[in-house]
Amino acid sequence: MGAVTDDEVIRKRLLIDGDGAGDDRRINVLLKSFTKWCNSTGSPEEGFTQYQRMLGTLAQCEFSMGKTLLVYDMNLREMENYEKIYTDIEQNITSAHDKISECKKEIQRAKRIRKNRQEYDALAKVIQQHPDRHETLKQLEALDKELQQLSHIKENVEDKLELRKKQFHVLLSTIQELQQTLESKYDCCRCALLRQDGLWVCWTVWRSLYKGWV
Amino acid sequence: LQRKLRSIWSISLLILLSRYKDRHLHMSVFSQSFSPCGRFLAAGNNYGEIAVFSLSSALSPDATDLSQTPILTFTAHEGPVFSLFSTDSHLLSAGNGEISAWSWAELIKRNTKAAWTRRPNYKSSLEIPEINAMTVNPTENSLVIGGGDNNIHIMDLESGIFKSVLQGHTDYIHCLSVREREGEILSGGEDGAVRIWDHRTGQSVHCIEVYKYEECARPQYGKWISCLTTESDWMLCGGGPSLSLWHLRSMSPTSIFPLSGCQRQANFYQDMILSVGEGQCVSHCLLGGEVKAQIPCTPHSLNTLALNLNSTDNRVLTVGGSSHQIDVFTNLSYRTFSLSF
Repeated sequence: MGAVTDDEVIRKRLLIDGDGAGDDRRINVLLKSFTKWCNSTGSPEEGFTQYQRMLGTLAQCEFSMGKTLLVYDMNLREMENYEKIYTDIEQNITSAHDKISECKKEIQRAKRIRKNRQEYDALAKVIQQHPDRHETLKQLEALDKELQQLSHIKENVEDKLELRKKQFHVLLSTIQELQQTLESKYDCCRCALLRQDGLWVCWTVWRSLYKGWV
Repeated sequence: LQRKLRSIWSISLLILLSRYKDRHLHMSVFSQSFSPCGRFLAAGNNYGEIAVFSLSSALSPDATDLSQTPILTFTAHEGPVFSLFSTDSHLLSAGNGEISAWSWAELIKRNTKAAWTRRPNYKSSLEIPEINAMTVNPTENSLVIGGGDNNIHIMDLESGIFKSVLQGHTDYIHCLSVREREGEILSGGEDGAVRIWDHRTGQSVHCIEVYKYEECARPQYGKWISCLTTESDWMLCGGGPSLSLWHLRSMSPTSIFPLSGCQRQANFYQDMILSVGEGQCVSHCLLGGEVKAQIPCTPHSLNTLALNLNSTDNRVLTVGGSSHQIDVFTNLSYRTFSLSF
C-alpha cells in the first residue's frame, strides 16, 4: 500500500518536474531565501539585494507559470482541432464508402449495358449478311408481275389453240361429208352443185382460218 | 476420341498406383463443384478420388500451406470422376457408369458414406459406359445424365426412378446444358451435333451440326463438341470446331473466337466469356468475338472451370486440368494461389 502511493507520488513528481529543470527547486530556494531574508541580520544593502534577487526569482516563477498556462491552453485547442479533423475524416470515410458502393452498382449496370450492346452488335452482324427487306420485296413484286403476265399469255395461246382445233375439226368434217356425198350415187347436176357448194364451204373455212392465223 | 484415350490411359495408370510418389505427376482434375454455402470446393480426379477443400480457410488472412490441401480426400468411384454437381444439400458425382450422392453436411464432418448410388439402365451389359456430364433441371427436379452410351438419361431426384431416355446422338455425349425458361435440354457430343431436346416430349427439336458451318469448322481438330453452355437466348459451343457464340432463336452463329486449341469448358460471366481448354491459360473473351486477355495458369491443359457465385465472401474462379494443382483466382486478372490435391 505504501509502495503504491510512493510510486504514484514519484510518478506525479516526475511528471510535474518533467519540463524545465528546477521549477520546483526554484520555489524551494525562494522559500528558503525568504525565510533567510526575514531572519537576516546583515546590512540593509545586502537585505535589499537579497530582496531584489527574491523578486527576480518570483518573476521567473510567475513567468514559467504563465508559460505553462499558455501551453495548456494551446494543448486544449490542439485537442479540439484534432477532434474536428477526426470527425471530418470519419465523414469522408463514410461518404467514400457510399461512393464506392454506388460506383460498384454503376459498374454492374455498365457491364450489363455493354453485354446488351455486344449481343446487339453480334445479331446486327448476322442480320447485315442477309439482303435488305425492301429489295427482296421489290424483287418479289417484279417476279409476281412477270408471273401474271406470263400466265396471261399462256391463257391467250391456249384459247387460240382451242379455236384452231375447232376450226380444223369443222374443215375436216365438211371435207369428209363432201367426200361422202361425192361418192354417193347422185345425178351430175346435183353433183356439180354440191361439189361447188362443198368447195365453197371449204374455201371460206380455209380463208377464215388463214385470216385467223395471220 | 480424346476422352476414350484418356479413360484408357487413366485405367492403365490406376494399375500403376503402387508407385505412390508419382501419383501427383499423373493426376488430372476433371471436375469441380462448390458447396451450396460457398465455403467448400469438391474436385474429382482421374483416380476416382474426390477431394474437399475449405475455401474459407484458404482465403483467410492467416492461411498456411496446410490450408491449401484438402480437408478430406476419399475414393468415390473405380473410374475417373468426370462430372460433379451440387444440389442444395448433396454433392452428386459420376464415375464408372454410376452416380453417387454425398451429403455436404456429412462431407464437412469428414464422413464419406454415400447417401445413395444409382446406375442408369444401360442396354449393353458388357461395357460400362462412362458418364461425361450431369446437370439438373430445376423445374422438374430431375437429373440429366449424358455419357458413353450415346443416350441422355433423365432421373427424378426425389424418387430415383429413371424417367426417360433421349436417343438421337450417334456417338457419345460430352456436355449438357439446360434452358429452364424454354424447358429445353441441350447436348453436345462426339458426333459433332448439338441437339436441342424438349424435356416433356423427349423429342429432338433441333439438331445443329456445328462442323458444317464453314466459319466455325476446324477439320484439322475434328468435329466433336466438348463444351456447351447457354444463357437466355445465347449458346456457346466449341471443341473440334472453334468456340462460337450462337443465337438460338435464329440458329445462327454470331461470333467466332480465335482461340487455338480445343476448348473444354466455357462460361458466361457478367459481360464476358471465360473459357479453358488446351493451352496453359484462361481466356477472357468479349461477346463480339475478340479475345480480351489470356491469363496463364499452372496446369498445361485445363479441363474444368468453376465460378463460386453462391457466396459473397469467397467469390473465386477455380480451374483444374492436367496437374494435381487447382488454381484459384480471387481477381480474374491473375492467379492468386493454387490448391494442391
